[in-house]
Amino acid sequence: MVTRVPPRSPRPRRGVRFLLTSGAAALALAAGSVVPGNPLAPAPQEAQADDGDKTTLTVAVAQSVDSLSPFLAQRLISTSIHRLMYDYLTNYDAKDNQAIPALATEWKPSADKLTWTYTIRSDSKWSDGRKATAEDAAWTFNKMMTDEAAATSNGSFVGNFKKVTAPTPERLVIELKEPQATMAALDVPIVPRHVWEKVGDFSKFNNDQKFPVVGNGPFILTEYKVDSYVKLKANKDFWRGSPKFDEIVFRYYKDQDAAVAALRKGEVSFVAGSPSLTPAQSASLKTAENIKVNDAPGRRFYALATNPGARTKDGTRFGDGHPALLDQRVRQALFMAVDRRTIIDRVFQGHAVEGEGYIPPRFKEYFWTPSAGQKLSYDPAKAAALLDEAGYRKNGAGKRVGKDGKPLDLRILCHATDPNDKAIGKYLQEWWGDLGIGLKVNCLDNVSDPWYAGEYDLAFDGWSVNPDPDFVLSIHTCAALPAKPKESAATDNFICDKQYDELYAKQLAEYDPAKRADLVKQMESRLYDTGYMNVMAYPNAVEAYRTDQIKSITTMPSAAGNIYGQDGYWSWWSAVPAAGASSGSSDEGGSSTGVLIGIGVAVVVLAGGGLLFAMRRRSTAEDRE
Amino acid sequence: MTVSTDAVRDKGPRSLARARRRRAVSGFWHQYRTHRAGLAGLVVLGLIALLALTAPVLVGAESQSVTGATGGPLESPSAEFPLGTDQFGRSLLALLLWGTRVSLTVGLLAAFLSVAIGTLVGITAGHFKGWYGTVIMRITDWFLVMPTLVLAIALATVLSRSVWTTILAIGVTTWPTTARLVRAQTLSVESRPYIERSKALGGGHGHIMSRHVLPNVMPLVLSQTTLVISTAILTEATLAFLGLGDPTIVSWGGLLQDAREAGAVSSGNWWYLAPPGLAIAVVALAFTLCGRTIESVLNPKLGVTR
Amino acid sequence: MSTDSTPALLKSAPGVDSARTDGPAPAGPSARGPRSRSTTAYLRYAAGKLAGAAISLFAVLVTSFFLFRLIPGDPVKQMTGGRQVSTEQIAAMRREFGLDLPLWQQFTEYCGKALTGDFGTSYQFRAPVMDKISEALPATLLLTGTAFVIYTVIGIWLGARSAWRNGSFGDRFNTAFALTLYSVPSFWLGLLLIITLSVGIGPIPGIFPTGGMESGDASGFGYVLDVAHHLVLPVVTLVAVEYARTLLVMRSSLLDEMGSDYLTTARAKGLRDDLVRRRHAVPNAMLPTVTLLFVNLGNTVAGAILVETVFSWPGLGGLFYQALSVPDLPLVQALFFVFAAAVILMNTLADVIYPLLDPRVGR
Repeated sequence: MVTRVPPRSPRPRRGVRFLLTSGAAALALAAGSVVPGNPLAPAPQEAQADDGDKTTLTVAVAQSVDSLSPFLAQRLISTSIHRLMYDYLTNYDAKDNQAIPALATEWKPSADKLTWTYTIRSDSKWSDGRKATAEDAAWTFNKMMTDEAAATSNGSFVGNFKKVTAPTPERLVIELKEPQATMAALDVPIVPRHVWEKVGDFSKFNNDQKFPVVGNGPFILTEYKVDSYVKLKANKDFWRGSPKFDEIVFRYYKDQDAAVAALRKGEVSFVAGSPSLTPAQSASLKTAENIKVNDAPGRRFYALATNPGARTKDGTRFGDGHPALLDQRVRQALFMAVDRRTIIDRVFQGHAVEGEGYIPPRFKEYFWTPSAGQKLSYDPAKAAALLDEAGYRKNGAGKRVGKDGKPLDLRILCHATDPNDKAIGKYLQEWWGDLGIGLKVNCLDNVSDPWYAGEYDLAFDGWSVNPDPDFVLSIHTCAALPAKPKESAATDNFICDKQYDELYAKQLAEYDPAKRADLVKQMESRLYDTGYMNVMAYPNAVEAYRTDQIKSITTMPSAAGNIYGQDGYWSWWSAVPAAGASSGSSDEGGSSTGVLIGIGVAVVVLAGGGLLFAMRRRSTAEDRE
Repeated sequence: MTVSTDAVRDKGPRSLARARRRRAVSGFWHQYRTHRAGLAGLVVLGLIALLALTAPVLVGAESQSVTGATGGPLESPSAEFPLGTDQFGRSLLALLLWGTRVSLTVGLLAAFLSVAIGTLVGITAGHFKGWYGTVIMRITDWFLVMPTLVLAIALATVLSRSVWTTILAIGVTTWPTTARLVRAQTLSVESRPYIERSKALGGGHGHIMSRHVLPNVMPLVLSQTTLVISTAILTEATLAFLGLGDPTIVSWGGLLQDAREAGAVSSGNWWYLAPPGLAIAVVALAFTLCGRTIESVLNPKLGVTR
Repeated sequence: MSTDSTPALLKSAPGVDSARTDGPAPAGPSARGPRSRSTTAYLRYAAGKLAGAAISLFAVLVTSFFLFRLIPGDPVKQMTGGRQVSTEQIAAMRREFGLDLPLWQQFTEYCGKALTGDFGTSYQFRAPVMDKISEALPATLLLTGTAFVIYTVIGIWLGARSAWRNGSFGDRFNTAFALTLYSVPSFWLGLLLIITLSVGIGPIPGIFPTGGMESGDASGFGYVLDVAHHLVLPVVTLVAVEYARTLLVMRSSLLDEMGSDYLTTARAKGLRDDLVRRRHAVPNAMLPTVTLLFVNLGNTVAGAILVETVFSWPGLGGLFYQALSVPDLPLVQALFFVFAAAVILMNTLADVIYPLLDPRVGR
């Protein structure tokens, strides 16, 4: 979920949810550490010896919770916790990302594709004992449709809703304005109406005053201390079955190295990193005892975006993107001079997959690769020829100049908080330098301003892709362009391509999965050819957990996938405590000895000063005698 | 200050002054030599400056290239790479040498900026005692209570990321101390009779400030500069560590930040983390030692009068 | 190491303490303080100091407002990025945050509310800024307070010893050691401590937690111990880099005292050396040191940003850093104000209290 995107916050739009907003990413990074750009995975920590048999899974996290209200929360940490606290209408199968029943047991569209009917299960109960019904779901959606404040985090899901009703406690009916293929991917936590209808101002209510918080998910939120920890206990009555761990704790380590160190010591059971562990960390953890490194295919793509000439919906141009980039040959030449193999080997040190199409291979049904003819492979000589052809020839000093005699000097926007951006920036400077192109790497904490203003030539870009790819596709449509110059908008990179837009409209109205997937692939092919979004890599999710605390845990996809930040609660719900984890394992003994020694040192240090004074006073007293 | 008064020879005032100063300098050096710590600091600084100047010859510019790197990622120290390699396979020793240039440059320039502002403000505030002096000193006092680090972080955030931003952020947040010291010195210089004489002879403000006050505060300014450099080097490292430096330039603080981002701390790659930190500490200490020595030579009574 | 030099560091320290040691005038507020014996004069003096502090606070308030408006990045854009928002919605958000008003009006509103302790609502946390600050403040106070007490005690004690044995090996070693630690970047020292004492290297066991303030599973006395356990490494780091200042001031004030006639007299009376030291010299030398310490305390709060970052301490420093990158203007402004106010208040307190403490300022 780390989006490398401009600092915008990705919001979930219809099907896809952007887990991490870029703003959050920036913050997290800023915090220096652990922001889960990616999933945070919980690590099971076992509970401590003093509690006898209570099992606790502890997850190291870095990102601060923005809000515990599902109506306001946008950061990955918060939405991950909401996954545990509240059930959604549907869930995604851990095996293959297919939508499967959750609060709704089945759903179907009407013949005109405009009305969806959901059957709500009868065995889901709120933690205060009341039954969860279609009423709760209808109230949640209606609240988001009528109260601007309640639409803060998930409003985009209901943008196309005309009317939501609950004719019976088991039946939820949603009427749409336009057909929408993503109705089994409504990632909206359903809240208990009887609790939430008492809330006055939704823009100020953070759901963090009264514990435990009433919910119907696999865990119940019991305690929260800002930037220290978030605690949840198992919901024994959860309809899918109780989680195996009794408790899950998200504990804060703002520094990723500190989090890794905590894992080594057994202070935490799981570390995800932000967005993932570094190659050095994963290499050193691989050799550690009782620690398993999960190096899984990621859900993110990492791309080189070129400014296609920023403009508004009505075509007003703005920004100062380099005119040379309006030439497709130049864009393609630039990408052909990028050695993706080296990036994977050197920057990611093998913890990534070479980029192909727009959607990562993890989402098999939508994954697309360019044909041999259209593939822009690494080929500096061909890149040079393309540039010559486009009219940018080398001058005497080895610099490429345009027909106007101006040298080809480009700028690239980079996220100051992302080490990969900075590293690849260095490589690009050298590769493109050989080609005769100058590059200024412009690293900012907050890239959103130049980005929205269209004041960039190239940029490092990246989004997390959801099981339903609608969102990441929608951000390149003309409809996403800003209404006015420099206004924020849904657009990612000011792309507006007629052919792409037609395909987008078709896939959204296509309810047949196979046909829709085919349309999506055609869109990816088109996007690849334009040279506006050049995917360099799909970074892996690199996480680690202690095998002496967690015996087993479900990844997503289950064959090889991530643990933290899943589309669902599978990892934490399924985690099985290791034998002995709860009953004072050797670790425990070790750590409590450590605690005692530590306390001893602390006491000595603290007492030192007092003692000095005391001694001094005593000797003075002696003098007086 | 350490001006000898017996230089009564039949020469022009210029050469008289020159001789006086030459003598002051040699007297100063004579005393400075007796402070072992100060000497040690000076020697260390000389060595480091030499390394910084000869870095291009010693290691070559290509050692900063990522595409031309020959080592593997994060190799531990070996004969080929005495301090190991960074995540791109570049020699850390070479990077440390290159970093010396940036860190020293930033430290020197920032200190120069800071002391220049401080001296200007201090002399003018001491010379023009009226409302100008009052207002300017109120501003100085006010800057003095601003938390320096917080202000520097804020400035570095506000401006774009570059070496110049770092220099500016350090320079404009550390000058008030110098200003106060210089102003006090100015007041004491201007109370001396020869200033009266100079005024009576028609010396203007500019003449008095530049010809009489400035030379007399210079020694103080010198010691102050030395001390500010060590602060500046530490602050540069701090800003770089917080990710507010220019990521495309190799500096010691930047190396530490890179080490941290690469996860060197928890992977036990001490050879990545330890040398830049040590280098910072050594240089900061060397400047501090020199500064303290200069100060005590120039004003041996400082310790007793305060 | 030269033995008679002044606490030069104080002047270059990135802090405010220099206010007290600058200039050829005798250091300390006493120089500016009342020499008169009359209480009225003291009161007038104190009132002047308080008025000065009030002006400074107001100036800080003004700066906090304008400085951070220069940060690139429109908070509304930042918060609405990636979703379709109508121009009306953007206008509504601007209204909500008061960003639609002319700057001077935003400013007067800000000042008016700030006077009542209301710094507005945090953009990113959607909670009153003062709530966020009061959540983080105790952690920062605990960390800096503990470190303050310890470095004060160590600094004064070592400083006194150093001065008394001026020029001895012990003195030189003490000063050199303190100066060395003073030159070390605090974040680097913190990282090294984590590697050695938290993670453990070779035979050294990792006995301290790697970060945070509590484990979250202890209560009662166990909780106190747990927090104390987490406190050790951050405190050690802060103390190591900070105690040099106290040591050097104490040392030079004591050297100063030792030149005084009354000590010679005391010795001439046949009093034992250490008695002279304890009864006469040290108490007098403590005065400038103590006032300096007040100032240091205010400054340590801001200086703890780095240590808080390295040790994941849930205090104001981390909050400030997070707030800067949004930019969460209300939070940034308020934190900046809090940091500066801490320094100003401590300075003023030192100024006001000093004459009361100094026996030489007869009253």
